[in-house]
Amino acid sequence: MPIDDRIDRTRKNFLSDIDPFPNNLEQIERIRSKYLGRKGAVTELFLLLREASKDERPLLGDKLNNFKKELTDRFNFELSKYSKSIKSSEENRFDFSLPGYGTRLGSIHILEQTLSEIKDIFKSIGFHLTYGPEIDDDYHNFSALNIPEHHPSRDMQDTFFVDSKNVLRTHTSNVQVHLMEEKDPPLRYIVPGRVFRNEAISYKSYCLFHQVEGIYVNKKVSLSELKGCLEYFVKQMFGFKRKMRFRPSFFPFTEPSAEVDIWDNERNQWMEILGCGMIDPTVLENVGYDSTIWQGYAFGMGVERISMLKYGINDIRHFYNGDIRFSKQFI
Amino acid sequence: MIVSIEWLNDFVEIKESPNELCDLLSNIGLEAETTQFTNKLPGVIVSKIESVKKHSNADKLKVCMVNDGKNTHQVVCGAPNVSSGQIIAYATIGSILPGNIKIKKVNIRGVESSGMICSENELKISDDHEGIMVLPNNLKLGKEFSSSFGYKFLSIELDITPNRADAFSHFGVARDIACVTGRKLKMLPQKKFTILKKFKIPISSESIDDCPRYIGGILKNVKIGPSPDWIVERLKAAGQRSINNVVDISNYVLLETGHPTHIFDYKKINNKNIIIRRARKNEHIETLDGQKYELNQDHLLITDDNTPLALAGIMGGNNSSVTDDTSEVFVESAYFNPITIRKSSKSLSLSTEASKRFERGANPNICLDAFSRVVFLLNEIAGGKLTSEIIDYYPRQIKELVVTLRPEKINSILGIKIENDKIEKILNGLEISFNFKNNLYECTVPTFRPDISREIDLIEEIARIYGLNSIPSEINIGGFYQYGDPDPEHYLDVLRSSLCGLGFHQLYLNSLGNKTVSELTDIDSIEVLNPLNIEMSNLRTSLLPGLLKACDYNIKNGNNNLRIFEIGQIHHLDQSKKVKFKENKYFAALLNGNQKNKTVHNNEKKEDFYTLKGVIESIFETKFNMNLKFKKKSHSAFEYCHEIIINGKSIGALGKISNNWIETIDLDLTTCFGFEINLDPIEAMITNKKSFKQINTYPTIQRDLNLVMPDNLEVGKIIELISKVGKNLILKAMPVNIFYDPKIFGKDNKSVTFSIVFQHRSKTLEDKDVNSIINEIINIADQKFNAKLRV
Repeated sequence: MPIDDRIDRTRKNFLSDIDPFPNNLEQIERIRSKYLGRKGAVTELFLLLREASKDERPLLGDKLNNFKKELTDRFNFELSKYSKSIKSSEENRFDFSLPGYGTRLGSIHILEQTLSEIKDIFKSIGFHLTYGPEIDDDYHNFSALNIPEHHPSRDMQDTFFVDSKNVLRTHTSNVQVHLMEEKDPPLRYIVPGRVFRNEAISYKSYCLFHQVEGIYVNKKVSLSELKGCLEYFVKQMFGFKRKMRFRPSFFPFTEPSAEVDIWDNERNQWMEILGCGMIDPTVLENVGYDSTIWQGYAFGMGVERISMLKYGINDIRHFYNGDIRFSKQFI
Repeated sequence: MIVSIEWLNDFVEIKESPNELCDLLSNIGLEAETTQFTNKLPGVIVSKIESVKKHSNADKLKVCMVNDGKNTHQVVCGAPNVSSGQIIAYATIGSILPGNIKIKKVNIRGVESSGMICSENELKISDDHEGIMVLPNNLKLGKEFSSSFGYKFLSIELDITPNRADAFSHFGVARDIACVTGRKLKMLPQKKFTILKKFKIPISSESIDDCPRYIGGILKNVKIGPSPDWIVERLKAAGQRSINNVVDISNYVLLETGHPTHIFDYKKINNKNIIIRRARKNEHIETLDGQKYELNQDHLLITDDNTPLALAGIMGGNNSSVTDDTSEVFVESAYFNPITIRKSSKSLSLSTEASKRFERGANPNICLDAFSRVVFLLNEIAGGKLTSEIIDYYPRQIKELVVTLRPEKINSILGIKIENDKIEKILNGLEISFNFKNNLYECTVPTFRPDISREIDLIEEIARIYGLNSIPSEINIGGFYQYGDPDPEHYLDVLRSSLCGLGFHQLYLNSLGNKTVSELTDIDSIEVLNPLNIEMSNLRTSLLPGLLKACDYNIKNGNNNLRIFEIGQIHHLDQSKKVKFKENKYFAALLNGNQKNKTVHNNEKKEDFYTLKGVIESIFETKFNMNLKFKKKSHSAFEYCHEIIINGKSIGALGKISNNWIETIDLDLTTCFGFEINLDPIEAMITNKKSFKQINTYPTIQRDLNLVMPDNLEVGKIIELISKVGKNLILKAMPVNIFYDPKIFGKDNKSVTFSIVFQHRSKTLEDKDVNSIINEIINIADQKFNAKLRV
């Protein structure tokens, strides 16, 4: 059979095989190898070159190469059409409305978050941080802070005792005393920590809570500076428009003493958020500072109270019962 | 303390509304809130009950005809004390009572009722709801109740701080108001009383310290009866009930002057000999309220030498109390030592209006005025006549202190210059007299201010009255520069945020737990001497029980999949040390349930030991770049327990929570994994300091190595071997597949595929470099572990 006829027959077979083009990869591969594979029909045609005369070879070679290209191109064209159809059916299966892979985020406790905000505000105006013991002796928790043993001011804080001389600290003010015993003035610190009160548990009180104590001792520190510092804090924490007031109060370790109230629009009343004052000279003398040279201010706030006001939490027990439904609200 | 605004008006003019007055007082350190009673009761009208007849369908109800000055209304009333002719507070239809109670026309068992006859409780004047409030007969019908009578009950509640003994009375509060407003302070009414016949009562005290002053006197012809309306009303406004005229007088003078007095029935005092002394062992007293107390040396008594008559400064005894047939009384007005009274009151857990004032420090120099006031009122109201000489036991007069005040110190403490005339106005208003010379104030502090003994105390008074809100706030608040680490616990922030990223929720849990749970660990727990309850008797020795409880709680509320952690203090007892209470910062975490739930994309994956181990590796190896090792260990908290070793130090343990712990804590948990770490030993090691290392850009070669090895051989041994043989060339060696097939490998063997990545620091590796290492690994694995290349 003349070579041209064989080419024509192969083409005819090829065209009939690819019409329609198969819709699975196995059959496609079978066609590819039948015509274009190592032992395929086109390769076989090339064997005819050996039989052809020297003169015919170049022409025949061209003819076969063109034919191979023709089939390859056609095959690839059909294959790409097939691929596109596959792809578009995959695209059709894509469903954007299916949920994403769930990556579970954890959370930092809302008290920790509140505490971080408090820390950041005071760090930004030059306070450093320090920490102290939760169990302390009577001296550091009370006497050194000018709270004598038989004085009604002891009633301000119901105390847990672990023995006759040691208590679960009722405030972080014990660290004021440690700090001043260890370091010479001037100093400027805040002290976060857990404190304990022997009070019945209810929506507004728990047997423990968290405080941040602040202390600044220098040669000329005034009540006016204390006011400036705490106004800065309140406005940073609760917004620049928040109404606040300083109200004279009493703490044995500060003189003059004050409490800071912020206005609560929801309750339509003043809410106390912290206590403060100028460090009582007796406290300075107790730690060996000369109160004629050094003076300072101190303040203390409850992290829970600030958190409750800021985030509208209405029951202090939510903080400690470990309910993950609460945690997840503050991721 | 509740103060009546009308009563305050006796001493200083009050122009403010109750709310304004509260603000004014709060701003000078007397924290005030309005009471529930309000002056605004529109529609509550003074009316008269014209007739009362029984309700035909109800035994206890009555049908009243009420005249409001214009019309007569039919009102059904259930109060037992309702009767014809009474003047009452009538809430008309449409009026709104406190608590947002709207008055409507109603039908009560077939009888129409228009409006309500009010009780004191309904008007929030007192909690008395036994019957209707009966008003004085002289009130004009048809007038608003509030303006014609109710105003008398307007009052405010003060929270008096422990330093302010002087403000514990109407007069004391009025003094502060007068001082800050500049209004005139009207003095206590003083009237002379006549002394009938003189005779002396022997009064003596065992100790001047306990009782520096004691005034006493006897009145005869006393007629016990109800108090006049004005006393009843004022006591009521101040939150107290009227008892009888004599007892009321003592209470009235206490609320007015702040000084407690006591009135005994003189006939009941057997031995007419008043001795103030400490209680003896085994002595008893039954107080006015019927309570019996066993006494000791801590308690100061008023006695007739033998019998205790009163707990001095706290409460009188039943045996000498005023009763309906009392006719002769002994009036006491004394000053007791604050510490003595405080100890006595504390040890009996008995706190009274009197003890609260004595323990804060009463005024020794007001005793006679208070006594005179009581005698005057007893005379006016109860007809009593003073028949004895007034005995004033006051061996050593308590003098007023002199304190120096420097204007420049005021400036230095407050940060504002206050003009001298302002300072003087404040001192005058507080009744502190002064001499000004050499730019100094020599201040004489009255004895009603025991809280003022130093210059700083005077500065506080200046600040208080000047007004803290009038002191400008300094805007230059930067302070001074400090060197060093601003937060030694900053590494915990890093730890917490890493855990948060790993899906853990941080919890804050109770430091107090029960004894059984605190004894689960092998460290001695600290017991609280006065716990709130037995469930909170001990300080925790581990964070795990709290986390386990939280886990249990959440599962019971439908949340099974949990990753939770806590960082907090644990406490323990170390008897061998001088400081026997120790605390450590612990860090513990728990995993429970699925780490992934089944979704359309993936199957569920449970939390297991390896996720737990991975968390620890991520934190300590990856995040903190520490040398982490694990070692098998036993620990009561865990099964599959391993200790966690960081930089050679054992710092904690991990594992599956043991059933023993779960049962002891009494929980229903099943499979829960956790760890607990003591952060203290590693705090110093955690630097979190990062430093750049040159990035190795030479290509890597990856090889898989498949070894068949005995089932009981730890895969980790082969990884160690690979790392050891490969030295610096091994970038990573990880087991990627473990396969069991008894038919192929034999029943005691497993096939493990390792993926090994090689890289050289300074050249491109070739196959031959890697081949020799692989061959050596295969050889040693065979010889040492009987692990053979799978062929």
